[in-house]
Amino acid sequence: MIKLLKCEFMKTRRRYVVVTALAVTAAMLVWIYPRHHSGDLLRLGWMANLYELPLINSIFMPLLSIIVSSRLCDIEHKGAMLKQLAVTKRRGQIYDAKLLYGLAIMLFCVVLSWGATIAFGYIAGFEGDVPIKLYLFYLLFTAAPTAAVYIFQHTLSLCFKNQAVTFFSGVIGAFLGTFSMFLPQLLWLRRTLLWGYYAVLMFVGLFDWSKENRYQYAHFEVVGVDWSFFVVLLFICAALYVIGREMFKRKEM
Amino acid sequence: MNEMVRTTNLTKRYKGAAAVSGLDLRVNEGRVYGFLGPNGAGKTTTLKMLLSLIRPTEGEIEIMGQRMDGKNRVKILRDIGSLIESPSFYGHLTGEENLRILQTLLDVPKENIHKVLQIVRLDGQGGKKAAAYSLGMKQRLGLAGALLSFPKLLILDEPTNGLDPSGIQEMRELIRSLPRQYGMTVIVSSHLLSEIDQMAEDVGIIANGQMKYQGTLDDLHSIDRSKSLEEIFLDLTGRERSL
Repeated sequence: MIKLLKCEFMKTRRRYVVVTALAVTAAMLVWIYPRHHSGDLLRLGWMANLYELPLINSIFMPLLSIIVSSRLCDIEHKGAMLKQLAVTKRRGQIYDAKLLYGLAIMLFCVVLSWGATIAFGYIAGFEGDVPIKLYLFYLLFTAAPTAAVYIFQHTLSLCFKNQAVTFFSGVIGAFLGTFSMFLPQLLWLRRTLLWGYYAVLMFVGLFDWSKENRYQYAHFEVVGVDWSFFVVLLFICAALYVIGREMFKRKEM
Repeated sequence: MNEMVRTTNLTKRYKGAAAVSGLDLRVNEGRVYGFLGPNGAGKTTTLKMLLSLIRPTEGEIEIMGQRMDGKNRVKILRDIGSLIESPSFYGHLTGEENLRILQTLLDVPKENIHKVLQIVRLDGQGGKKAAAYSLGMKQRLGLAGALLSFPKLLILDEPTNGLDPSGIQEMRELIRSLPRQYGMTVIVSSHLLSEIDQMAEDVGIIANGQMKYQGTLDDLHSIDRSKSLEEIFLDLTGRERSL
């Protein structure tokens, strides 16, 4: 496995996969931060992040998953290399190595954006201390749906030569996932969508916000962590992995 | 003479239609086996089954005396080099970097990279990006990858595709020399009779997924001395001369 991972690293030379991933993460951060510079949002900053960032993540993380998985797998299709790899190593190992490498890039970006969020809070002067325990939950609840989405995208990218399949299913999924956040009355929608789990695992609510006063009297509160859906998500990850790996193993080349 | 490859009733069906039907392939060790057939006869499908790239619908495959199954597949494949359909390479990497990846995966000595680049006459071109190679150079790079571990069995699917006449001749000479120089057994497929005639010692002729003839090239010539090899081939495959 170490050799396969080393080869994954060698293959991505001049493909700028990590640089592209970092650029998308940077774009996400640039989009988020200018909003929190003043007024009530400085008072509410730490909790406001936990309320708002899942929405941003539901847009950017699936997009990043499409880019990373597609860039990593497309090189195999373009160069007809899967045939060559499949006669050299076990197919399951090929699937695993590529998945691990891609997941590592994705999780690096998740942690980076998480760290940047906290750093920005300090720089902007958010009031109070960072609620580190809640931020660790947030990190976990960002990483888990991202991993699930990535496994899904990875399987599509590896099994389908035409990367448009990966792109469109990812974009449609991301759109539906984000859309489900605006429909809190349709909880089933976000719970049945892979991309909806950024919303399902949100644990902070906004109260007393009004159109007139906006955030003046508003406050954020922890509405509870729903661990049962976190466990469901872990099962979904495991199922996606097993199905995806088996699909790749059975693929005729 | 030991059999390097032996298939029994090898069959592949797609949605009920047989691409390969009841094939009993016999490839002897240390020989060049020409696998000849018209386009769409089932050559590539057969070679892919030998390499486990596709699963047979029926039948068995034995390579180097071992029956191929899910457990020993990778172990057997370690001794096989292959070039199927188009050459495989990462276009954004140099020829040498491509071989370096294969060398790492195959766990063979680094020196092999330069040896095989020399064998396929790509030495001096290894630092160029593979995407910038000509079709012939890509084909040679693919062959270099197949030779990298100096395998016991080399499977080449239409290896002269895209080569110019001098490239074809070089490839022919190279293939012919492999059993003598490195003790390899070579299976080489082609739809060109003249090519196989100049390269192979043994020949298998396939048409419509079925083996029509298998034996030495000399025996094929002696089927009917009054006919040319081309006429014999056309008789066997049931094709019109215009094909």
